[in-house]
Amino acid sequence: MTQEVTVNIDGAFIRAPKGSTVLDAALGAGICIPHLCRVPYLEDIGACRLCIVEHIENGRSKITTSCTLLVQEGMRILSNTDRIRKLRRNIAELLVTEAPNSRAIQDIALRCGVVETRYPFRNSDCVLCGRCVRACTGHFGEKAIGFVGRGKDRRVESPFNLYSELCNECGRCIDLCPMTIVPCDGNMKPGEGRLCGNCESKMLTEEAAQGYCIGCYMGDGFQCERSITNTL
Amino acid sequence: MSKSKLKTIKDLAPLRNSLIKEREKLRATIVICGGTGCQASRSLAVIDEVKKQLAKHKLKKSVNVRTTGCHGFCEQGPVMVIEPDEIFYCHVSPDDAAEIVTKTIRDGEIIERLLYTDPVSGKTIKTESEIPFYLAQDRYLLAQNRQVNPCSIEDYIAIGGYSALAKTLFELPPESVVKEIVNSELRGRGGGGFPTGRKWAECREAPGDEKYVICNADEGDPGAYMDRCVLEGNPHLVLEGMMIGAWAVGARKGYVYVRNEYPLAVKHIQLAVEQARKLGILGENIFGSPFSFDVDIARGGGAFVCGESTALMASLEGKVGEPRPKDVHTVVDGLWHKPTTLNNVETWANVPSIIKNGASWFASKGAKGSKGTKILALTGHIKNTGLVEVEMGKSINDVVFGIGGGATNGKAIKAVQTGGPSGGCLPVEKFDLPVDFDALADAGSMVGSGGMVVMDESTCMVDVAKYFLTFLQDESCGKCVPCRLGIDRMLEIVTEISEGRGTSDHIELLEDLGDTMSTTSLCGLGKTAANPVLSTLRYFRDEYETHINEKKCPAGVCQALITYIIDEEKCTCCGLCKRACPHNAIAGKKKQVHSIDVDLCQKCGICMSECKFDAIQIQ
Ligand SMILES: Cc1cc2nc3c(=O)[nH]c(=O)nc-3n(C[C@H](O)[C@H](O)[C@H](O)COP(=O)(O)O)c2cc1C
Ligand code: SF4
Ligand code: FES
Repeated sequence: MTQEVTVNIDGAFIRAPKGSTVLDAALGAGICIPHLCRVPYLEDIGACRLCIVEHIENGRSKITTSCTLLVQEGMRILSNTDRIRKLRRNIAELLVTEAPNSRAIQDIALRCGVVETRYPFRNSDCVLCGRCVRACTGHFGEKAIGFVGRGKDRRVESPFNLYSELCNECGRCIDLCPMTIVPCDGNMKPGEGRLCGNCESKMLTEEAAQGYCIGCYMGDGFQCERSITNTL
Repeated sequence: MSKSKLKTIKDLAPLRNSLIKEREKLRATIVICGGTGCQASRSLAVIDEVKKQLAKHKLKKSVNVRTTGCHGFCEQGPVMVIEPDEIFYCHVSPDDAAEIVTKTIRDGEIIERLLYTDPVSGKTIKTESEIPFYLAQDRYLLAQNRQVNPCSIEDYIAIGGYSALAKTLFELPPESVVKEIVNSELRGRGGGGFPTGRKWAECREAPGDEKYVICNADEGDPGAYMDRCVLEGNPHLVLEGMMIGAWAVGARKGYVYVRNEYPLAVKHIQLAVEQARKLGILGENIFGSPFSFDVDIARGGGAFVCGESTALMASLEGKVGEPRPKDVHTVVDGLWHKPTTLNNVETWANVPSIIKNGASWFASKGAKGSKGTKILALTGHIKNTGLVEVEMGKSINDVVFGIGGGATNGKAIKAVQTGGPSGGCLPVEKFDLPVDFDALADAGSMVGSGGMVVMDESTCMVDVAKYFLTFLQDESCGKCVPCRLGIDRMLEIVTEISEGRGTSDHIELLEDLGDTMSTTSLCGLGKTAANPVLSTLRYFRDEYETHINEKKCPAGVCQALITYIIDEEKCTCCGLCKRACPHNAIAGKKKQVHSIDVDLCQKCGICMSECKFDAIQIQ
């Protein structure tokens, strides 16, 4: 039998199996902590930093990512404080201005309360969340794609940028890519100050929705346990 | 000399005594620096020539030539010290060798021309200990460099080397060693300043039989070379420190992770390991004790981020050198998921003397909360540059003016940048701050690995921030969003400001973004990457505001914001500038004051350097 521990997340006492992450424990209990790079059953790398929470220990608060923090008996977590919301908003803003054409990213930004953006848009077609890379290496043990380069040159590529023999065309990478979950059809023009809205993103139609489930596209696919909690 | 294995602890002292006796017979020792800096100024050729001359004059047996590691005063290299009188010669060339051997060694005469001239007083100085650059320092670690040839384990043993290890293995149980280090209040010299004793204690208590110690000699900070200097100049000291640490935490295996760009350091530490193995100081049952320990040398991948603890361990494991989340500390879950103690070169180098002299000896030096000495790499717009070692708690003033000798060419000093690329800038008004971990951190900078770049009034702080951001943008591993995109956006904004497109919202945005990066980045690089911007904003906000509001660069550095003009009063109509300008931007006939066409001017500054009358100015 798996051992369980009790953690306190935003005031709720939650039972979770030992060895699971705080993020999984929260999502399982219907507490939505926004996240992007985490994929169930794959290794968590803590890359997007959206899932940050405050971990209260000995009266001191430490900010860390909940996808890399393992549950411990008696742990106290705050996932929705003013401080966290502000930081998360800023991270989401960096992401959405980098790739304003992804509906999934737009939804995340809305969920994190981004109303206006302060940086000029770019039209990146990859936010380096590494979901595809881990799906390939972690799930099937293949290494058809991987990260190359450092810093601003970092990108996802197949070895030597050639079609890889190792690829067995399972398509998991594409399924998991936030850029392909209902992509937007028109690229932003440089200097366009607002998200384009071509893809009818919720960003244009709804108020910023910090702390509430907005039924985002990330969740729709395969990520959060929204469907479970909705039926509870 | 016995080169056989030291089977028991009792063999060490006789070996040391015989070595000392041998050295006492010598008439003189010529110490020549063979560190990387002095090698670059041809010290090896000097050494060859000196040896030749000694042979010629039949002095080979009575005079020892000791090639050592860096003394810290590279600027004056090649440097030579003649023992026992400590005569100090600088900028020695191979041609001087004959004269040195005949005059100084044979006849006891001093060669005036080779003496050091103090740039502040203008006087020549005879002995090493009188040189103000050294006098103002507290040299404990660096002073040893002069006493040993790094390729000779005998030299190290002769000055008392490995006696701390012997004491550890036979008198101090591991718990006592940990306690001693805790009591010494030694803090890590690699940048973080984490209490070393606490690290060792946690690693010792961590469950598991297999544990590791690692020496971090990756030193990727541009301009920093104190780790190279210690490892190159005194490798056995670092090795002895690691062995004491291994005994304390319960490790049987250690690694030295050296930056690949340090070939001499790699060579010396490799040689040191081999020599120690041969003497039975590394290997099974050291000195006949139950303790067994060995060390491997690994070469770093060359990226700055590989110096970060988790990235370094990933690299040692043969993976890509990228940081990973540290929700469980490396003292519990480190190299190959085993408890691991990682310390910096300088941290390890401090250990043997703590064991030898006691924790209270160490704790009596330095400032509250920051004990002992720190080696700083002093560079920039000052008279004396080089590696300096000071007790922590000394004021920045003492370092910059006392040791550094103040500004060059009469300009006023404006700021100092401490702590390497992700450190901060402190204005001259803050120079009475002590160089210690907490004081500098409170002021928005850090001791870091010990870089200290002094800047005079010709420096633009916006430009400085831009420079460090550019470095960090290249060196970020790119894994996490706040660091990768945060640095990118910061650089974008600072560039806008430096090119005259800054807006009034930019300063607030920089501060907000900086806060996000510092709090949410995955590793130390991202967590500190905003420091150059945040600290310059804190102390030199007016410079940013002038760039933004008046579209001017007060220091005249940011190209887009300056115009070159000709001072009509000073112009002698010589026509030099007109001929020099590659863009034909200067107009004016003979005997007619010249002028610069701002539309054609590319701001290359060639006219300014050509003009002999200071008539060209920046506005
Ligand atoms: C980006 C980055 C680069 C670093 N580079 C070095 C380095 O070159 N040398 C070093 O000793 N520590 C470096 N550190 C600090 C190490 O992570 C680690 O804290 C240190 O080696 C621990 O040793 P200490 O406690 O003796 O300082 C770096 C940290 C970061 C975040
Ligand atoms: S903070 Fe920077 S260097 Fe560290 S993991 Fe994130 S991207 Fe890489
Ligand atoms: S989901 Fe935790 S960092 Fe991306």
